[in-house]
Amino acid sequence: MLTSEVNRRKPNEKNGSTGLFNQLSRRTVNRSADKMLSRLALRNAQALPAIAHGAQALSSSSEASNRPVRAEFGGKVRLGFIPDEWFTYFYPKTGVTGPYAFGLGLTTYLVSKEIYVMEHEYYTGLSILLMCIYGVKKFGPAVAAYADKLIDEQITDLNESKNSEIEYYESSIKDEKHSQWQAEGQTLLMEAKKQNIAMQLEAAYRERLAHVYSEVKKRLDYQVQIQAIERRISQKHMSEWIISNVLKSITPEQEKATLQQCIVDLQGLAART
Amino acid sequence: MGFGDYPAEYNRSIHGPYDPARYYGKPDTPFGQVKLNELIPWLSRRNKSPRAMVAAVSRAWWRWQHKYLHVKRGGIAPFFQITTVAMIWFYTINYGKFKNHRNYKYH
Repeated sequence: MLTSEVNRRKPNEKNGSTGLFNQLSRRTVNRSADKMLSRLALRNAQALPAIAHGAQALSSSSEASNRPVRAEFGGKVRLGFIPDEWFTYFYPKTGVTGPYAFGLGLTTYLVSKEIYVMEHEYYTGLSILLMCIYGVKKFGPAVAAYADKLIDEQITDLNESKNSEIEYYESSIKDEKHSQWQAEGQTLLMEAKKQNIAMQLEAAYRERLAHVYSEVKKRLDYQVQIQAIERRISQKHMSEWIISNVLKSITPEQEKATLQQCIVDLQGLAART
Repeated sequence: MGFGDYPAEYNRSIHGPYDPARYYGKPDTPFGQVKLNELIPWLSRRNKSPRAMVAAVSRAWWRWQHKYLHVKRGGIAPFFQITTVAMIWFYTINYGKFKNHRNYKYH
C-alpha cells in the first residue's frame, strides 16, 4: 500500500516544479513560440538549401546592395541627345566653351572641305530635324506628364500588390504565432486535466483508505465485542454457579446460627447506643 | 558553357541578381586610365575571341539601355541618340555615293 502511494505521488511531484500558474505567464509562452518558429525555420533551411538560398538572396542586406537599382531619370544630355560627359570631358583642357568650339570647328571643317556633302538628303534631314524640334517642344511636356502619370500608376499598382502580399504573409505569421500560443494553452489545459484526474485518483484512494480503515475497525470491534460478551457470559455463569453452590452448601443449622449471631450483634449494638 | 548561359564567373550567391550590363570577370585597368606605354600590353591582355567581343558589345548596349532607356522617367534623348548613330552609320556606308554629289571640285 505504501509503495503504490509513492508511485502515485511521483508524477504530481514532477509537475509540482512547473506549476500551472507558472506556465500561465504569457511572456514565457510567447518566447517559447518564437523559439519554436525560429527552430522550425532553421530546420527547413537545412532541409531545403535551394529555397533558403533564394530567401537569403531576397532578404540579406549584403545581397540587397548587389541588386541593381533602376534610375529615376536618364543620363544628362545637352542639345537633346549629346551626353553631358562629352562636354565635361573637355572642361579641364578647354574650359566651358571648348566642346562647342570643337563641334563647330569640326562641322565647319567637314563642310568647307566638302567631306560632309550637302546633297539633297541634308536638306531633308534639316527639315525633319526642325519638325522634330518643334514636335518635342510642343508636345513633349504633355507626353512627359502623361507618361509620368502612367509610370506612377504602374509603380503604385506593383507596390500595392507587393505590400498586400507582405501584409498577408505578416498577418498569417501573426495568426500562426497566435494559434501556436493557443496550442500552448491546450497543453496547459491538458496539464490541468491531468492534475484534475490525479486529484480525483487521490480522492478515490483516500476514500478507499478510509473505507478499509473503517472495515478493519468494524471487524476488530466485532472481535472485541465477541470477546467481551464471552467473558461476561462466562463470568456471569461462573458467579451464578458459585452463588448457587454456596447457597446449596448452607445448612439450616448454619442459617439459624447466623441469624442468632445477627440478633446478638444487633442487641450489642443497641446496648451501646 | 552553352548558348544563352550566364558567364562562368557569375555566381548568384556572391553577385546577387544577374545584371547583363556588368562584367563579372576580374576587372583590368579601365581604358581611360591606360598610359600610352601600357597600351600594347593592355591590348594583348584583351580576350579577342568572337564570343568575348559580342559579350562586350552586349554589355555596352545594356549599359546604355540602363542609363537612358530603362529609367523610370526617361526622355526623348535615347531616341535621338539612336537616330543620330543611325544617320552617321548610313552616311558612312553610303559615303561612296554621296561623294558624287559634291558641288566644288577644288577646296
